[in-house]
Amino acid sequence: MKNFIVTLTLMLAVSPVIAENIYINGDVESRCSIVQDTAGRWGNPSANVLTTLPASGGQVPIIRFDYSLANAYYASISTPISFSTSPSLSDSTVFTGVVAVTQTSSSDMSGYQAASTTPAANTRQYALTVAGTTWFSATSVATHGGGNSTPFPSGSYTGIVVASCIAM
Amino acid sequence: MSPAYPKLGLTHIAGVKKVAMQIFNSREDVEFYEIGVFDVNWKPINFVSLYKIIKIDYLSTVKFDVYLTDADALKAEYLCSRSKLRSDKNNKAMLATRICSRFK
Repeated sequence: MKNFIVTLTLMLAVSPVIAENIYINGDVESRCSIVQDTAGRWGNPSANVLTTLPASGGQVPIIRFDYSLANAYYASISTPISFSTSPSLSDSTVFTGVVAVTQTSSSDMSGYQAASTTPAANTRQYALTVAGTTWFSATSVATHGGGNSTPFPSGSYTGIVVASCIAM
Repeated sequence: MSPAYPKLGLTHIAGVKKVAMQIFNSREDVEFYEIGVFDVNWKPINFVSLYKIIKIDYLSTVKFDVYLTDADALKAEYLCSRSKLRSDKNNKAMLATRICSRFK
């Protein structure tokens, strides 16, 4: 018992001061995310036209932007200007596109469309000045052959809508 | 992709700066993301990273480092991740998403 007490006394005498580091960890995810709400699809109402308009058998893609910080991001949406996959085409194709705000989580976002800009012919950019959620539609029409109305060859066609969330 | 406003830091190599980033994949239909660095006019800038196309499982986070020379770091304005899409056989307009952080 005496030896134990001596040993314990020596151990305590030489022990360094023990300090425990307490860490606080946290991951911050982006405050802007983009979700495909509705997939797009081209209808083929006439031989030389592909369109996403529902009246022509198409489906307009709907893109949802969720952002939790006001005045921090631009939403930029570009409609296709070429096919990413298609059969071999014998004539030129003209692409047109329209991007619009279709739904908002706040009435304060009602001015988004009027305040939007077009940094490129196929691109519309919105300043996301109010935190929340905004849905955008991206209508696309592809016309083959110009005045010749050359029919599209049969096959599958794919175009890509690019939706960007860009820090201000 | 975060942080939204990354800051380039020093490395142990003279003349090279580094930034640590992470990407969270919230898209079930996307497995791969490509990263890129651009100047204020959206012209691409050279950078080094372990991979330029990164596989990220759905609802997973991947951390990566981006290295820039001091000269390129002065020009770098945006660091973006863009979803890589697989082609399929439907006549549909697919959605590519791009999230861009801005260097401060």
